[in-house]
Amino acid sequence: MNSPRSFALAAALLLSNGIALAPLGAKQADTYILAGVTEDFYVGKPGAPRDGILRLQPDGTWKHLGYVDNSVMQAAFDPRDPRVFYVTLINGCLRTLDGGNTWRILTSWDYTEPRDVCVDQLAPDELYLALLDGIAHSTDRGQTWHRVENGLPLRGRYTQCLQIDRTQAGRVLAGCEHGIFLTDDRGEHWQRVLSTAATVDDIRQSPDDPARWLAVTQVDGAWNSIDGGKSWTRVAGVPGEKALYNVSFSRFTPGAIALGSYTYGVLVSEDGGKSWTPRNAGLPASHHVWRVGIDPENGRLYASVWQEAIYTSDDLGRTWQRTAFKCERINSFSFLVGGKDCR
Amino acid sequence: MKSNMQKLALALLISVFLARGAAAQPSYKGPMPSGAILDNWHRQLATQARIDEILNWRDDAARKGGEKTVDMAAVAVKLAKHEDADLCSRRVIEIMKTPGSGPFAMFPMTCVAFLGRDQLSPEARAAIRDVWRRTLQVRGDTENHWAMYYSTLYLMSELYPHEPGSSWYTGKSSEESLAEARGYLISWMNLATTIGQGEFNPTHYIGEYAIPLLFLSSWAQDPEMRQRAHMMLDWIFADFAENTLNGAYIGAHARTDDIGILEKWNSLSSAFSWLYFGNCPPPANYGSWPIYFATTANAYQFPEVIYRIGVDRPGDYLQQDLKRSRRRWRNSPVLMAPIYKTTYVRKDYAVGSYQGGLSDPIQAHVWDVTWAVPDPRGRHNTMFSMHPVSSVADMQEYFAEMPDTVISAATNAHKPTYDSPNKLLGCSAFEQVFQDLDTIVALYDIPPGTRFSHINGFFSRDLVGLTEDPSGWIFAQGGKTYLAYRPLAPYEWRPMDKGDKRLYSPHLMNGTILQAADASEFKSFEAFKEAMRALPLAISLEPVPTVTMRTLRGKEVVCAYGKAPIVNGTPVDYSKWKLFNGPYLQAEKDSRRLTIRHGQLERVLDFNNLTITDAVLPKG
Repeated sequence: MNSPRSFALAAALLLSNGIALAPLGAKQADTYILAGVTEDFYVGKPGAPRDGILRLQPDGTWKHLGYVDNSVMQAAFDPRDPRVFYVTLINGCLRTLDGGNTWRILTSWDYTEPRDVCVDQLAPDELYLALLDGIAHSTDRGQTWHRVENGLPLRGRYTQCLQIDRTQAGRVLAGCEHGIFLTDDRGEHWQRVLSTAATVDDIRQSPDDPARWLAVTQVDGAWNSIDGGKSWTRVAGVPGEKALYNVSFSRFTPGAIALGSYTYGVLVSEDGGKSWTPRNAGLPASHHVWRVGIDPENGRLYASVWQEAIYTSDDLGRTWQRTAFKCERINSFSFLVGGKDCR
Repeated sequence: MKSNMQKLALALLISVFLARGAAAQPSYKGPMPSGAILDNWHRQLATQARIDEILNWRDDAARKGGEKTVDMAAVAVKLAKHEDADLCSRRVIEIMKTPGSGPFAMFPMTCVAFLGRDQLSPEARAAIRDVWRRTLQVRGDTENHWAMYYSTLYLMSELYPHEPGSSWYTGKSSEESLAEARGYLISWMNLATTIGQGEFNPTHYIGEYAIPLLFLSSWAQDPEMRQRAHMMLDWIFADFAENTLNGAYIGAHARTDDIGILEKWNSLSSAFSWLYFGNCPPPANYGSWPIYFATTANAYQFPEVIYRIGVDRPGDYLQQDLKRSRRRWRNSPVLMAPIYKTTYVRKDYAVGSYQGGLSDPIQAHVWDVTWAVPDPRGRHNTMFSMHPVSSVADMQEYFAEMPDTVISAATNAHKPTYDSPNKLLGCSAFEQVFQDLDTIVALYDIPPGTRFSHINGFFSRDLVGLTEDPSGWIFAQGGKTYLAYRPLAPYEWRPMDKGDKRLYSPHLMNGTILQAADASEFKSFEAFKEAMRALPLAISLEPVPTVTMRTLRGKEVVCAYGKAPIVNGTPVDYSKWKLFNGPYLQAEKDSRRLTIRHGQLERVLDFNNLTITDAVLPKG
């Protein structure tokens, strides 16, 4: 790895050239961001050319892939071929088979505004889709879909996020309007494993311990599970009055976890979630953080600050660097190592 | 009295004179349309003259602005007039370099693509076609977005059949997109014709339904889709016609805007009133989008029976219609709530409402009275009250946004007043409204801590004789309409920018009673006041706001917040509400069949067998 001084120099040069910061010479994951660049977008307003999916290039710049779209929400990659990936946006779920050159909208009019999509890493033809009114499952890489909602409440099916257990095919956790639901049988049956007052915004599985899961919510704080998502306990030290937006585990630094929040900014734990510290010094004073992500290859912490820019930190948020990538929000950071989605 | 023919000739003369004159939009600034009831032949001539006025005005504006100002609307107009094909081709090629995305870009492209089929150069047609390959067209998240999106996707898929997915932004073949579009459009039509329109009676978005439906009815190759679109267009215009007073869209609306709720005629919908009823000026720029409608309007014959409903009202009428709310994704026990809508129309005023609660969180308007004025331009001819709530939970009920930005997402998207305590636009989960003819009882039970927990009542600068009576009634006259407004809790007056006044009442348990009456019913305004004072009335605010009263029409009404209203001892049973129930429109819930009737004229739109059946009924 380059010395800190040469890295800082390179960073300064890159920033002065108006491109995104990247550690020259350092290993980094194959990084994708789903960006809403246009501020205050609404249907009818022209989008910016960089709205949509961008991939980090070795020189630290971001390359735009595919369509211009401000609404792109989440991405999921096929472990057999990272050129095959799926994204959700206001039009539905889209798939590319060639790294973003061509696309197909996989869903029809009856699936609107999906919030999340997941590929089962152990059964990669199988996908799950989080919908405003439920959950859908595909067994053929998204060519066809069917609803899998047995066990979900008649109302309250709004699903914001999904996460598939990387150790067991067909085992999925869903973050819904009023809690977390778990299926062990590809969505044929769901059972509620956590009740919440409002929407569950994100669920993630620990890279170190597959039985360990973390979830964040809109008004109920953060939740921890150590039994594979069957039971949950409230995480102490994490505020919960306002919404927490997402969770990111570090694969680079064992025990490091970051949470993103519009209100609380970036919260970091370096002891596996036992204690939490706000790490907002160096971010804009409002520190309206939309999403965080941690590069699994070098531990770099990314934070998307609402209507501002992407910030990065190489010391887990103790100091921050503002990158030149201005945008309203990043809806998702995706990192691939060896072609595998590290979600 | 001038004959219809003379009136028409005069109107045409003025129209032609103004159209040939300055760039000023002729009918927007011109004399008030006569509103004469024309026979079928002459009303069609008059409509044709108005279509020509729109096209000529827009074409003149483009001509004066030079080539670079020729936008898609101007291109569409020129193509409709079969003029300047070379210029149109050049401009299309240029505009398609940065075409925009989404429903509001799709219908102009589709309009030009179809009008230009035999006029545009191959390169220009290819430029449009290529946009549909390389540019993702955003589908949007409202029913009007989807009406535009799927109508135009349908038409473009038919225009370019048998083309592979690689040639479309959807990645789907022409046939796949056609099937998807057809599926949605039929699904939407089924909903609208069984349990009611979602974005019901929209003052602006009526255009976003009428335009794509007109395109479909004109250009769809599949005769079934053409017929369906024609029938839906009739359906929407029939619904519109019964809800107008001298062309102004009245009563409750799922979607309207801050201007249209006060200056009642000043909405896009008035472009259609002007075009087809001839009883109202058009808005500035004819509402803009209706210019696209005008390019194709000749393909649609506006039914005489609907025209008659719009202009020829032999008497007062009561209409009760069923609609539905926007889809609720969260925070609600139902996906779509039923909307029970009441409209009572007399010659010189109308009262309209729905039962309260959330229909669409941003731009709904729950109730009002509208009075007729000789010329509505600049007039604020309305009165109402509302609860100006601003709520993250309400917004998240309908939008998949995060809580911290869901409100700014609305205010930054041309809905600027949503988070203003002074707003007059919007509905509230804490409002319950009952209407019996021209009596309104609006009750409010607002939980403590609600953002903006007061009531706003609108009092127009155009009212005369505004009096705060010791009895507790506020009396005023608007046009030929006497108005009695009764706040149920203490209030104060807040001035408004343009000379109007806002009644501000900061009490959680609250309410409004409004009684309207025609001035001709009383010897004097004083007699009206005396009649109102004499009506038995009991008001209590605890434990919930409750009104027990006799209306001016002699009904004994009991309204208690949270309970079904009681009229003459019988609770109102909304479960029996029909899809349309009035003298002009009749449809049973779930029937998919609408009977439109005026005098001897009858048209039946039957979506069960896709028939339009016209009949002339026996006299009497």
